[in-house]
Amino acid sequence: MPMSRNDDHQSSSGELAQTLVEFLEVAVSSIVFLKGVYPSEAFERQRYMNVVVQRARHPELRDYIHSATSGLLPFIQKDLVERVAVIFFNKDNIPIERFIFKLTINPSHETDAAQLEFSLRSFLIKLPFSKPLLKTLPLDCRWEVTAYLRSLPEVGSSKDAETWIPTDTKQWQKPPLITPIKSLDSDPLCLQLYLEHPSSS
Amino acid sequence: MLYCWTRFSGSADSCLKMKRSLGSKSSNNSSSSSNTKAKKKKTTSNQKTLGVAWGAASLSSSRSSFRSSPFSDFGSYMSEKNRKLHNQFDAEASTDFYGVSGSENLIFQGVSIFVDGFTVPSSQELRGYMLKYGGRFENYFSRRSVTHIICSNLPDSKIKNLRSFSRGLPVVKPTWILDSISAKRLLSWVPYQLDQLTDAQPKLSAFFAPKSHSVPEVVSTDMTCQPTSRFCDIRMNEAEVANLFRAAKFGEGREHENDETDGVYLEITTRERMDPAISGDRKSSELNSEELDYCGIEEKEVNSDFPSCSEHPPASTNISFCENDTNDDISTATTAVCSKRRHSTLEDPNFVENYFKSSRLHFIGTWRKRYRKRFHGSSDGLKSTDSGHNAVGSPKKTAFIHIDLDCFFVSVVIKNCPELQDKPVAVCHSDNPKGTAEISSANYPARAYGVKAGMFVRNAKDLCPQLIIVPYNFEAYEEVADHFYDILHKHCRKVQAISCDEAFLDVSDLDDVDPEILASMIRKEVFETTGCSASAGIGSTMLMARLATRTAKPAGQFHIPSDKVDEYLDQLPVDVLPGVGYVLKEKLKKHNIQTCSQLRLVSKDSLQKDFGMKTGEMLWSYSRGLDHRSVRTVQENKSIGADVNWGVRFRNQQDIQHFLQCLCKEVSLRLQGCEMLGRTFTLKIKKRRKDAAEPAKYMGCGDCDNLSRSITVPVATDDVEVLQRISKKLFGSFFLDVKEIRGVGLQVSKLESVDSSKRGSTRTLESYLSFVSAQTEQRVNSRAAKVGGSSDCERHVTADDTRVGESDRAESSIQTSEIHSFSENQASSVPPLCHLDMEVLESLPSEVVAELDQTYGGKLVGLIEKRRGKGKTKSNSSLVSLDDVKSANSLPSKMCSLSTHEEEECEEPRQGISSEPTIEMADLMPLSFSQVDISVLQELPEDLRAGLLGALPAHRKQHSPSDTPTMETEHDKEPVEVGEAQNEIGFSDKNLWIGNPPIWVEKFKVSSHHILKNVSEMYCKLVVQSRPKLSSILQHAIFSISSSYDSSANDLEEALYNVCELLRQYIKLKIEGDIEEIYLCFRLLKRLALRCQFFLQVYEIVSPFLQACIGENYGGNLNIS
Repeated sequence: MPMSRNDDHQSSSGELAQTLVEFLEVAVSSIVFLKGVYPSEAFERQRYMNVVVQRARHPELRDYIHSATSGLLPFIQKDLVERVAVIFFNKDNIPIERFIFKLTINPSHETDAAQLEFSLRSFLIKLPFSKPLLKTLPLDCRWEVTAYLRSLPEVGSSKDAETWIPTDTKQWQKPPLITPIKSLDSDPLCLQLYLEHPSSS
Repeated sequence: MLYCWTRFSGSADSCLKMKRSLGSKSSNNSSSSSNTKAKKKKTTSNQKTLGVAWGAASLSSSRSSFRSSPFSDFGSYMSEKNRKLHNQFDAEASTDFYGVSGSENLIFQGVSIFVDGFTVPSSQELRGYMLKYGGRFENYFSRRSVTHIICSNLPDSKIKNLRSFSRGLPVVKPTWILDSISAKRLLSWVPYQLDQLTDAQPKLSAFFAPKSHSVPEVVSTDMTCQPTSRFCDIRMNEAEVANLFRAAKFGEGREHENDETDGVYLEITTRERMDPAISGDRKSSELNSEELDYCGIEEKEVNSDFPSCSEHPPASTNISFCENDTNDDISTATTAVCSKRRHSTLEDPNFVENYFKSSRLHFIGTWRKRYRKRFHGSSDGLKSTDSGHNAVGSPKKTAFIHIDLDCFFVSVVIKNCPELQDKPVAVCHSDNPKGTAEISSANYPARAYGVKAGMFVRNAKDLCPQLIIVPYNFEAYEEVADHFYDILHKHCRKVQAISCDEAFLDVSDLDDVDPEILASMIRKEVFETTGCSASAGIGSTMLMARLATRTAKPAGQFHIPSDKVDEYLDQLPVDVLPGVGYVLKEKLKKHNIQTCSQLRLVSKDSLQKDFGMKTGEMLWSYSRGLDHRSVRTVQENKSIGADVNWGVRFRNQQDIQHFLQCLCKEVSLRLQGCEMLGRTFTLKIKKRRKDAAEPAKYMGCGDCDNLSRSITVPVATDDVEVLQRISKKLFGSFFLDVKEIRGVGLQVSKLESVDSSKRGSTRTLESYLSFVSAQTEQRVNSRAAKVGGSSDCERHVTADDTRVGESDRAESSIQTSEIHSFSENQASSVPPLCHLDMEVLESLPSEVVAELDQTYGGKLVGLIEKRRGKGKTKSNSSLVSLDDVKSANSLPSKMCSLSTHEEEECEEPRQGISSEPTIEMADLMPLSFSQVDISVLQELPEDLRAGLLGALPAHRKQHSPSDTPTMETEHDKEPVEVGEAQNEIGFSDKNLWIGNPPIWVEKFKVSSHHILKNVSEMYCKLVVQSRPKLSSILQHAIFSISSSYDSSANDLEEALYNVCELLRQYIKLKIEGDIEEIYLCFRLLKRLALRCQFFLQVYEIVSPFLQACIGENYGGNLNIS
């Protein structure tokens, strides 16, 4: 085990949430890159968990992703977050593709930081390979990060919560088609990453 | 921001900090222009680690792009770049941040790593560690500068072509670095070698010396079949040797100067200075030419950095190297050897032979035999006088001399190398400085450093880095030992040889000679003849003589007169006494006894009470200097045998059989060498303890359970074939997984000398065991006839087998549980038949069997058939037995030979029954009907069956039909269920995925449907993965399942149902956590459906269920396109 991580071993659940938020930030960046919403020059190669990932260069974009994901931290810590979705809309504001992170945290378990990192890394590796599954984006698209909570947070319970607003995102009429990308079923954290597309019929 | 951005925040502290220090220009000493350049290069270097071709120095790839650059060619660009990178690295290493670590933290000094590909931790982190702990990190592979290649995984092409990939450097996992850091010292990289190269169990490189007879006992580095650390080790040796000789030539000051230089550079300079020597001396050193073509850049750099080096003309090293040549044992040999020897039972077909050729213990063991032959006459004389001496008793004044050659194993080897006399030298079969070979002897300069016998080489090297390791030279040992004893026997008739280098002389009779003068005479003569110094102790008892030697060493002598005994013993720590080992010492310590004077205060009675009669007596008398032993001739061996506990690794049954054969050959040779025959054969097995890790000692036996079994035969033998048969049989009775075996030994005891046994009984063992030969056919026949009638025959007929059987009955639980296949033999309900050795019967010629069969009224053939069948197919036989039960329902039950089974499958009702009082025959009869093998019963003739059934209590009989006897509790119940439940189709309420292997695997295996069987087999094949996923099974199924197959409708329906149920349960299991796996399975299923009607149906049946589950959990439909 790397030395630097041994020390972190104690604060397990806090550590897990922190790692998860970091991971989400990277994953969201990668998804946005993957979808080609912005020209690829807007991203730069970086290393995270020892894999090559893309990070936005533009400070505003970076900030958005960062604030969106790090804003989730208090909710994740309270185990309120059920799903985190990266949703891509067409110009009519109708979702055309959703990347869903479905997460279940079992806080009673010890976090093995190295093991967790190892598992999360496989998501980052697998993600680029889902490109063939993706739909090409229409012009004038937009995207957002949406979190689905198990229960509504108490209003004003914390400052972090303020960055989040209830969404009125349109839902699909029919159940979507699900294409799994990667699953992690281990003890502190159970995480599913899958794609949702509107059902064709 | 060109540097890597490692993390968004948090945990990889070291990396982040490193980046920071990289970025800050103030801490970087190089000029700004070079800084920017360096940055540019750094990015390329990062790309390189991301996968640009290996070997940046290859010119072809990118030459064209450099046409317009300021560099004349690619080579100069790269060298410039490397220089900059080095500077950068040094600058970082010297900044405060990393420089804080004191010199004791520089554990990686001299280590220079190259990271290949993806590693955990990342190459950046590794770089940080190297910075911090005094190592070096190379961005580009270069054989000159890199000492270790770090990687976690290698592509096949590199594995196959390892030699050209690694250039002989060790390929190590990154955990080596992490573990070294946590251990705060440089660990041996050997256990960390890349798994792909080592396999699960290390077997590639071998450590002990190749025994080429022309170059006896050459010091081996671990460069064997795998090109591992060849270069590294050679270089270290060179450096050592060079240092050594340079020190000799230029005196202390020079060496001192060298010590002051930084470790890394020391290595470079020595190497550089060696080069001319090597090139001038090519014939002696078979170094690869690659090593000679060091191109200039680095040399220049080194030279400028260390002007002191250039002061030394290459001539100086030449001289030192020439010297090397003269003592050919050591240094040149080191560089020359590239052994192809392999050192485990896995790879070396002649392992046993080679093992004993290079074993020191073996040498000592066999030496005794040699000694006895050589001095046979003189010891005869000793015997007679000895008895006389005993008769006379103690009134006569006694005097003993104990004489011992000083560090025998070392001094013999170095006696011809005067330059090594004062150096620390140790004998060991391997010179790998990081290895786990044990030092067998060290000379006094080495002992001053704390080097001791029994130490691992790597530990010894830690204690004494300049330690010189020399190999054994058994021939020289023999020669010296012979001379030694020649001299002893010349001076004294009463010699007791303790070992090849140690003996007691009884000089009580030699009244005219002062023992002290005699001792010094002998010592002088020994030194003149053999060149080895001896130490002598003189005392009134053997104990005192021996203790005196302790004081006398090295190369001295010491006399303890009888009046000084107490004085001498007073302060002596107890553990110096012979017979007091670590355990006893600790025990005594608990009693507050640490010296002999304290020991003397304790009464004999209480000593005997605390430590046992013998030990107590021994302690009591030894603490008073009393020793009633007298000088005797070499003791006769009580047992002869051979043990191999190192390098023992087997893959399969064949390996172990071959090994046993070799071992038997060895033992047989030893028996013949001693002219002995033995009757009791003991096979000892060391079995890896369940949770034992790979042992610290390379290829050692580690933490083991010791098992042993023995067989005594009526007539002594030394015949190889007999030994092989017996050992095979013994081994078979262990029922071991051969992969777990770490050591095997075969001992022969109850020895008789060849002459006496010739006179012995005429009923030879040979007739018993060599029944195969036609000559003895007659005899066997006659004996077999006896079997039918008289019971006393059992002693000779199946001597070994009944013995096993007898002991079994005594400790039934242990052995019966292990001996399945012998079970028929043991439970002897019908004495004559059951006492037959089935193995013997099987090996009999068919005519003989036929004849015997007549005597038995046709029972024999059935028995033999049965036995053969049983061995082959267990699951089948369980099915068969099922049928038997059904027939047993209606027909009167039958019984054949009885087999006792170990499993406690007596369920509730039956337990009650078996606890009921049993009849007189209970010891012969199985405790309950469940223990009766029905299939065996079936084989018996009617009358016998009836008799046996009569012997069983009635209530047992009536229980018999329902209590299906099975061979293995769980698995064999399955067929019952399948059979019974045919109308209700299958096993819906059970969870098929419980257990390991999951229940379904067994169910499918016994299924009549071909696809199900196929799938089950697939699982078994894949079981190497800890728990194979269904998707990987299906993936394999795609390739193996043929489309054409169509089974009968009846079959199909059931199979279909079973597979669907399996899938449904799998979906339930995985829906929450692993939809990826479900997705994969169904994609594969869909592909299978295209090929095979069966899977199409499965797919159609299960799909709705799947979609419902997905909908329930994820609010959508799975997209199986």
